[in-house]
Amino acid sequence: MSDFDAIDSLLAAVGPEAELPSPQRRRELREQARLPKAQVARALGVSPSTVTGWESGGRAPSGELRAQYAYLLDGLAAKLTAETEPETTPAPAPAAPSAGTPKAGGPHPEPAESPAGPAGPAGGSEGDEVEVLTVPEPCVLCGQPARHRVEGFAQHLDPADCQATPAAPPAHPAMTPAPPEAAPHGAALAGKSAARPSRTPFPAGRAKGPARRAFQEPSGPADLIGQAVQAALAEHHGDVDAATAALLKRAIPDAMRLLDETRKGARYDIVAHPWIPDILRKQTSRGPDQVWEARPKWTRADLPPGRHEVTALDINGAYLSALKTHLPLGQLEHSAGLPHDRRRAGIHLITPPPWEHETFLPNPIGQRDEPGPLWVTEPTLRLLLRLSGPKYGLCEPPEIHESYTSGATENLLEKFRIALKDARDEAIEQGDEVTLEYVKAMYSKFVSTMGESNYNRELYRPDWMHIIRSQAFSNLWLKTLKAHDEGLTVVRAMGTDELHVIGEWRRVFPEGRGVTEVKVKDTYTAGTGEGEE
Amino acid sequence: MPEKNLDFGKFGARGIRGSEAVARKLDELAGGITTPVTARRGLMARLHYLTRSGKSRQAARGAGLTVTERTLKAWLEGKRRPARANLERIDAAYRAVRRQNVARHLLARLNRDGRGTRVEIHPLNQSQVPRPLQRVVEYRSMNVRRWDKIVSAWAAGDHQGLDAAWTADVLPDLGSQWGQYEYVTNVGFAA
Repeated sequence: MSDFDAIDSLLAAVGPEAELPSPQRRRELREQARLPKAQVARALGVSPSTVTGWESGGRAPSGELRAQYAYLLDGLAAKLTAETEPETTPAPAPAAPSAGTPKAGGPHPEPAESPAGPAGPAGGSEGDEVEVLTVPEPCVLCGQPARHRVEGFAQHLDPADCQATPAAPPAHPAMTPAPPEAAPHGAALAGKSAARPSRTPFPAGRAKGPARRAFQEPSGPADLIGQAVQAALAEHHGDVDAATAALLKRAIPDAMRLLDETRKGARYDIVAHPWIPDILRKQTSRGPDQVWEARPKWTRADLPPGRHEVTALDINGAYLSALKTHLPLGQLEHSAGLPHDRRRAGIHLITPPPWEHETFLPNPIGQRDEPGPLWVTEPTLRLLLRLSGPKYGLCEPPEIHESYTSGATENLLEKFRIALKDARDEAIEQGDEVTLEYVKAMYSKFVSTMGESNYNRELYRPDWMHIIRSQAFSNLWLKTLKAHDEGLTVVRAMGTDELHVIGEWRRVFPEGRGVTEVKVKDTYTAGTGEGEE
Repeated sequence: MPEKNLDFGKFGARGIRGSEAVARKLDELAGGITTPVTARRGLMARLHYLTRSGKSRQAARGAGLTVTERTLKAWLEGKRRPARANLERIDAAYRAVRRQNVARHLLARLNRDGRGTRVEIHPLNQSQVPRPLQRVVEYRSMNVRRWDKIVSAWAAGDHQGLDAAWTADVLPDLGSQWGQYEYVTNVGFAA
């Protein structure tokens, strides 16, 4: 008999899998609710990177985890629908208040009304503890001062006092999914908002709302990129070429505006015109300064015997990804003979260690011909320190002689980068070439003109320019190492984004156009006798 | 004004006057010939700039290059080389004329139709001050809307006027601590 029980439980588990929204929608839901990945991951008992995987479409959970995740997304969707609804239907049919009133007014809204949920979050809380407030707080429903608090949310006990708009359902964490008649409506709305960028899901018009809402408007930048593109297209009557040309022309000021927008309310100011040490100044008007950016330019000396199919891979948006790097905040300060400080960043005079793996891996400091000390930037130094560490043990640690550093953060350009990355991803998904070109011009010109360029006079940070470029090179170097470790034969690493490999690279790097993926530039055969290419 | 520093550097603080940093930055923005006047290339470039038209000749004369037409011609044709004192005079005249010529354009860019320009003030260097006497002086930035006095004083080479315009008109907008920013390491802005 026990066999049949086991089979029964198996059969019960086999039932239809919970439906999950599309990966992009999953992420949107979470971001609109302003839940960090880490928090979601903790609630589900997985790691944040797993959540990333679910949201980027690579994977989806299965089994019980899937049911839990679906439940979370369902709940979020219902909440967001409830949030957006009153704005779009200001004068609803009388059906709405009948659904909303008992909740809006009732001090005991929860357990009775929560529809069947496997383990409803409201199930555990009793929910009937009414606190009397001495100082009135704004009601979560109508925004008027209320003298009672239920479960931490100030509200009116009598629906008659509550002058909420009739349709406003309570923004309550323990709230159950929205009334069924509102759901299809809201889902359609949510779908519409998903079509355009998700950064500002709520119109900004409702400033005088309740003070403590479950979901606040996200503080991210307004959709400057989308607006600019639409304005340009409208101005040129839909002429894509003319609009692209116009947008490329204003890419630098627009990037600066986006930067300002993303730094609102941020912890650190952007210091745009600090004192610059002489090594960062150009020697002549066209000459370079003394900083070595470690640009890789490496070709394998000799291939393994036989003929090989070589694939030239292209790293997508290398400079965009490189915006995440340790940037010095303020004026650079000189120091000599100190060990490396992880909390500071800048440029360093080092003697690089000898490199003995030239036959199969490029030198991390690039193709340097002359020996002796040289000025390198933070990413190069960090790469060298990492490679000299116990985990890799590929070289000796570099010797640091002098440094110009300042307190550093990795998050200075993070919001800026994410805004651009989101716009880029969306443009790729929708085949929107105008936005794609515009975004590309924005980040590449931003990096190339942030130094002493006359095209961007708002920002004079040659140190940042070098550091961001070096970060791109360092990222490429690490991809080279990854390819090598996974058993591919690396043939060439060049510039910011070019990697030539022999072997089954698709199991190492995902193919695509996203910033974490690579695309094929070219394939050619090379082999013994002819030299490659 | 009680906020002003009387004996700057008594305890080892280092810095330059804010107005001087502003003048340096304006000079940098004005640009110009970078080859030194002692090189032939730099000399000829300056002479050509100062003798392009009747007006520029007049401006050069006003800026202290009081040599005869005949001498100028000889210099330009390379028949004679200016003496060292005259080289200095040529350089000074060039800088003065360049400032006057650039001032109007620079002023328009700095005022930006009344929107002004963001100025960053990097505080003085206290590394040589004994620890108990060091004070927290923060990096500050402010928007300067009216540059007329500053630029006109700079174009006229009037250091005192520039200092007055900067210290008395601009700095007090920083608030009650403005005296800490009378001396700075650097003033940064763009035009």
